[in-house]
Amino acid sequence: MANRWGMVIDLDRCTGCQACVVSCQAENNIPINTEENFYQRRAIEWIRVERYWEGEYPNVKARYIPVPCMQCENAPCEPVCPVYATYHTDQGINMQVYNRCIGTRYCSVNCHWHVRFFNFWQPKWPDSLKNQLNPLVTVRSRGVMEKCTFCVQRINHAEQAATLQGRDVQDGDFTTACAQACPTRAIVFGNLNDQNSEVSKMVASTNRGYRLLEDLGTNPAVVYLKKIDADPLPDGTKHRYFDSEQASTAKSLAAVG
Amino acid sequence: MRKGAMRRRDFLKLVAATGAGAVVFTGCDPSTIGDGSPKREFEIQSPDLNPQDFAWGRDLWYATAFAGVSGGSGLIARVYEGRAKKIDGNPDYPLNMGRSSALEQALVQELYHPDRIGGPLALNGDRGSGKYKALNWNDAMNQFNSMITSAGGSVLLITPPVSGSVANIVGQTIKAVGGQHVTFESDDRVVLREAMNRVFGSPRFPTIDLANAEFLLNFGAEFLSDWISPVHLSMGYGEFRQGRADVRGRYWHVGPQLTATASNADKWIPIKPGTEGMVALSMAQVITSKNLAKGGADAGSIYQGITLDDYAPDKVASKAGVTADQITEMATMFAQQTPSVAIAGTSAAAHTNGLFNLTAVYALNYLTGAVGTKGGIMLNPGSPISDTLPESTTGTSYKDWQSLAQKIGSGGFKLVMVYGANPVYSLPSSIGFKDALGKGAKVVSFSNFMDETTVNADLVLPTHVTLEDWGLHVPDPGPGYPIVALQQPVVEPFVDSRSFADLMLGVAKTAGKALPWDNNEAAVRAMVASLQQKGGGNVNATDPKEYFVTVQSQGGWWDEKAAAPSAPSGPSKPTAAADPKFAGDTGSDTFSLLPYPTNSLGQGDFAHLPWLQALPEPISTGVWTTWVELNPTTGKKMGVGTGDVVKLTSPAGNMELPVYINPAAAPDVALVPFGQGHEFFSRYAEKRGQNVVSLIAPQMEAETGALATAGTRVKIEKMNKKVRLSRFEGSVPAYQLEEYPIIEIQNLNQ
Repeated sequence: MANRWGMVIDLDRCTGCQACVVSCQAENNIPINTEENFYQRRAIEWIRVERYWEGEYPNVKARYIPVPCMQCENAPCEPVCPVYATYHTDQGINMQVYNRCIGTRYCSVNCHWHVRFFNFWQPKWPDSLKNQLNPLVTVRSRGVMEKCTFCVQRINHAEQAATLQGRDVQDGDFTTACAQACPTRAIVFGNLNDQNSEVSKMVASTNRGYRLLEDLGTNPAVVYLKKIDADPLPDGTKHRYFDSEQASTAKSLAAVG
Repeated sequence: MRKGAMRRRDFLKLVAATGAGAVVFTGCDPSTIGDGSPKREFEIQSPDLNPQDFAWGRDLWYATAFAGVSGGSGLIARVYEGRAKKIDGNPDYPLNMGRSSALEQALVQELYHPDRIGGPLALNGDRGSGKYKALNWNDAMNQFNSMITSAGGSVLLITPPVSGSVANIVGQTIKAVGGQHVTFESDDRVVLREAMNRVFGSPRFPTIDLANAEFLLNFGAEFLSDWISPVHLSMGYGEFRQGRADVRGRYWHVGPQLTATASNADKWIPIKPGTEGMVALSMAQVITSKNLAKGGADAGSIYQGITLDDYAPDKVASKAGVTADQITEMATMFAQQTPSVAIAGTSAAAHTNGLFNLTAVYALNYLTGAVGTKGGIMLNPGSPISDTLPESTTGTSYKDWQSLAQKIGSGGFKLVMVYGANPVYSLPSSIGFKDALGKGAKVVSFSNFMDETTVNADLVLPTHVTLEDWGLHVPDPGPGYPIVALQQPVVEPFVDSRSFADLMLGVAKTAGKALPWDNNEAAVRAMVASLQQKGGGNVNATDPKEYFVTVQSQGGWWDEKAAAPSAPSGPSKPTAAADPKFAGDTGSDTFSLLPYPTNSLGQGDFAHLPWLQALPEPISTGVWTTWVELNPTTGKKMGVGTGDVVKLTSPAGNMELPVYINPAAAPDVALVPFGQGHEFFSRYAEKRGQNVVSLIAPQMEAETGALATAGTRVKIEKMNKKVRLSRFEGSVPAYQLEEYPIIEIQNLNQ
């Protein structure tokens, strides 16, 4: 059986520190997100950490969730590409062929997780910072989409090394940049098709597993483990919001409804 | 490609933009499109599967170390064609075991920073003008040596807390020239070290055995982001939560702010700023009165000179802004859900009564037998060879900085040397440090960047950054046993810089008292030889070369078998109870100013690194600027929302900041992050946001003399202006729907 690379993210371990975010940027030649990018809501983060509010002061909590590409088995972003720039590997990874992409952004529109990013500008680095760029990762040009690849250059590298040793690549031969950095071991990467892999064992050993927007039936390769709450907030504080200003808006809508 | 020929990508654009596109692509097998299949094309883009000429050479990984500002970590650096590409944690190094922080990941940007100073500079205009002329190292060293000779022992050296080989070289050099060495450390750490001294008998920071604890009670310490050894403690936190099959650690946070760390707690108990100590005493009173103390712990001797009954919950509750029941519940949980551990720091230390707050909290651990035991506070030994590799020393207090500034200003020092610190930015301007530097003393900066202090220097001698230099460091805190980290250069110096330790060796030589090593590398090799002579540890080699190479490849030396320091039976020195004092108007229309360090920029030391500037502060998600966080109800009363500009006025000054409405902000606090407002410090930091230090009134922690950074109250006035606040929030339409929750939560008993 072919490998199916996947990820388990334990929300009970995640602290929202975002070491994964910078590690991904360093590994994958992601352009520097300037202040202007944030104003335009065009910051590129292949993995991001979203923060949700729950409740109101003093009964209030903030929750974090790291969101990379879900690497869906039935990826909604794939069939809409008019030039076949979105491509599904035999190992279950949803890839972007940069030199095929013509920038229609249909894939982005069709991605419910908003993990595809469009290069509105030519990425720029001062010359000296170009020394840091990873030579095994293409720098994407203006006009193309980009996204998390599960660090495919590491997969390729591990496959090459395994081939030289006369064997197939195995779970544990490599990991993604985000999982490697994660100080709390909240992110674990591995082969979902291998029953003995750490990710499979983690999923099998708990009833906390769920997938983001699972009902859409895309079968994501990223499995989350639910956050545990030992001290839930009092009743009546169930709503969770990403934007703090949405809290008041949603409440007034609820009142109207 | 033939001139005028259509490129394949243009062809694809053309056919996709026309109706023909759909026909062409749905009618054909993908393998017939263009010059190959998408799979093949993808492989071409990943040069790993291509001939050698696509990606020259191969990558090499070197172990090294980052001394850092928070204990530091063991690192591995990926080097490709002589260039450092990626930093990760060293899997062998006990403190971080392969894990790393955002800051450590960003160290490569320091190495290749476009605004790094390229070589020695001499002032070529007025002080502060930033006008310098380039020098070669020969001329620069001639000038430097002549300054040392002219100073005749009247030398002040300012550094961050240094340990190991650098501490040895600096210590001997300063002794040789007859000068004074002071260290710059954030004020909360100055208080924390004294608290450790009093409660546990050693200024060394302890290790918190979170992996084996069942209950954590934290009074304000930012242990997951900007406190001592955040990567090490984060690893422990992961195990605390989900590392054991039958136990999930429970974490309650007590403090005036729902910080990045506090947001991970199961329960946040908001209290009035500066009342952490009295809440801890109240807990001690409950534990004692209910006979919940363990192993015959005697509260009377632990809290000498304090009458605990004066702090019964009903007497403390309203003052601290909590209920008596909450205090009782905290005390009962802490005493019964063992192993439990209580820690305090950051904001709890930032008050005029900071030392009392910390000592009162840490002493709670004696009541439950949590000192030196599994799941509690683990004390750290000193250096394995403290004469050769000294531990870092306590930072200089604000009070002492005042005296030093006066002494510099009155000609008490003829030469001031600054390495790895930026006192002109970090100290309140009321201390007059910048003016003092302009009063006659020669100033030499060893900085890599033109920061606020360096711009006042006569001579700039840029030094190697972490990835270019040698060093041996004694991390503080350690893992509970003796440890030394080895830092080695992983690339050739990128600019014309020198090792700081080499420059110090040169100073000693100029003073006629040369140290026994020709250069820094020789010193490090000799000191590793001393470790070999001592014996023990993780390195098993008899040949000195093999021994050194093993230490090099493993990233250090450590001795897991060494006995842990014995735990004292109680605090060595009592600390009197004290209420917090605030500068400024304390009327009901004023706010407690709570400046806080962020997980990315800290207190501004890393504002020059663009990855960290662009890293959202976890709670507000703010980036690249400064803001003030206010409670939603407070905002509504004032008629301000996110992006509206307000003016904050304190006894020390005023500043205009955009508001961020934070649902977790207490109604009477104003939360402002440290780190921005640099006048200088590279293109990524300059003229961005504001430096909140300029609002902090010069109030001191009563016993240590540290600056009470949270001891100021401010008035807030609405300005009729609105700006866009750069933040990550809202970048993706992330709605948490009842039917399809994004973050799913399971109650503990499900």
